[in-house]
Amino acid sequence: MSRRTAERGGGVTFGHTELPDEQSAALRRAIRLAWGTIGFLLVGVTLVYLVMGSSQAMKAAWAEDLLSFIPPISFLVAVRFARRRPTTAHPYGYHRSVGIGHLVAAAALLTMGAFLVVDSGSGLLAAEHPPVGVMHLGDQVFWAGWPMIAAMVVTGIPPVLLGRAKMPLARTLHDRVLYADADMNKADWMTALGSVVGILGIGAGLWWADSAAALFISVSILRDGITNLRVAAGALMDARATTVDGDEPHPLTAEVDERLRALPWVEDARSRIRDQGHVFHVESFVVPRGGRAPGLRELGDAREAAISLDWKVQDLVVVPVAELPEEMLPSVAAEAGEDEQRPGR
Amino acid sequence: MARTARPLLTGLLVPVALAALAGCSGGFPADPDGTLERVTGDVLRVGITDNPPWTEAAGGAPPGGLEAELATEFAGTLDAEVDWTVGSEEVLIRDLEAGELDLVVGGFTGRSPWSKQAALTTPYTTVPDEQGKPEPHVMAAPLGENAFLVRLETFLLQNHRDVLP
Repeated sequence: MSRRTAERGGGVTFGHTELPDEQSAALRRAIRLAWGTIGFLLVGVTLVYLVMGSSQAMKAAWAEDLLSFIPPISFLVAVRFARRRPTTAHPYGYHRSVGIGHLVAAAALLTMGAFLVVDSGSGLLAAEHPPVGVMHLGDQVFWAGWPMIAAMVVTGIPPVLLGRAKMPLARTLHDRVLYADADMNKADWMTALGSVVGILGIGAGLWWADSAAALFISVSILRDGITNLRVAAGALMDARATTVDGDEPHPLTAEVDERLRALPWVEDARSRIRDQGHVFHVESFVVPRGGRAPGLRELGDAREAAISLDWKVQDLVVVPVAELPEEMLPSVAAEAGEDEQRPGR
Repeated sequence: MARTARPLLTGLLVPVALAALAGCSGGFPADPDGTLERVTGDVLRVGITDNPPWTEAAGGAPPGGLEAELATEFAGTLDAEVDWTVGSEEVLIRDLEAGELDLVVGGFTGRSPWSKQAALTTPYTTVPDEQGKPEPHVMAAPLGENAFLVRLETFLLQNHRDVLP
């Protein structure tokens, strides 16, 4: 089943898939970054809570910081499970833990986004005037808006750097939870800027600026939730494999088919591939030339040829058929290119 | 994921930021309804409810007690006369919300349930309550009138921090 595992052994694995050096290094780095994110968030959440006062925008930003705990924790938990080897009870392994982590994170984003939209929207409709008075440190008395702005600037910048560091790792590892986390982190400066604008608005005597800023932050949380929920649900529904951002079909699908078609005894080949989390499960249907049944060695070589393409392709079965089965391969029946406009769904 | 939302967000936030900066000319923070400006050199409308020793507003006598004195002194710093309204807490807070009062005093504490209806000041003094637990004392100002609120809180903190009734 897994010659590569047997040859190297002892390295980092996802189930029975041995990770190449690049992916092993990326995984270790991603785990360090996830812990780093959690540490940073603990500081950030405390800081923002201390200065938050009655600003709606600060409250929304704080809620987003709290929610930001979910993706790195989901990632750490999911990766822990995904590395377990398949068992008799779990013959496909534990890769789906990534999908579950992603779904949980998406549902949390969606719920909190909806709650905050209602909360800040009703504040706007009821024309709530947020009071922001003074704070004092010893004998120094100053407007409480200034420490809020300072907290937002301080907590707004590091997530962007963390997000930028995580994004390439998410692509390398084909990890959607990590991708969602990186994407949220990268967008964090928008939240911080929104809050700063809201507070400056309060200072300028524009009572609506704060609620308006909070509303925009909430809408962006809600959108993140909807997009992630769609991609996560799609993956759990065994949608065809897509790139990690869920935007387009994964190029490996075509590459596997091409590699199989290039074999001398193969006339046509088509695969259906589902994304298990980090790794793919592949069922390849091959039509031998002249209707001649292939030998065991030919089938074995075909499998080796396909799985040598990418570390993600390991769990692959080759099925010789007289003709491509339309009921299992809707893409055979579909007009060429018909499905291409609706990726990841 | 939120990538499509960002240009939209920027497009809406920038005008707000510019408006915020444009509003800076009239003092910072500013009052949406101009309370501080209106009170200065004119009349400070204070609601008072009887709660000795913080406030005494019973009978026909002029209001007294620590917070009544503080309110009078604060009005003095704004060259304003005090116009007293005596009533129950609920009635006074409702008047404050409606913009018919500028300040309500009545020995309110940090645990006051009126934080949705009024801007409670930062505590200016903390004294033990009847059970001996420390209790922070606050006054009630109109919501969102932040120039007025900041002036009041600064006055309380700088001139009367930790006063005892």
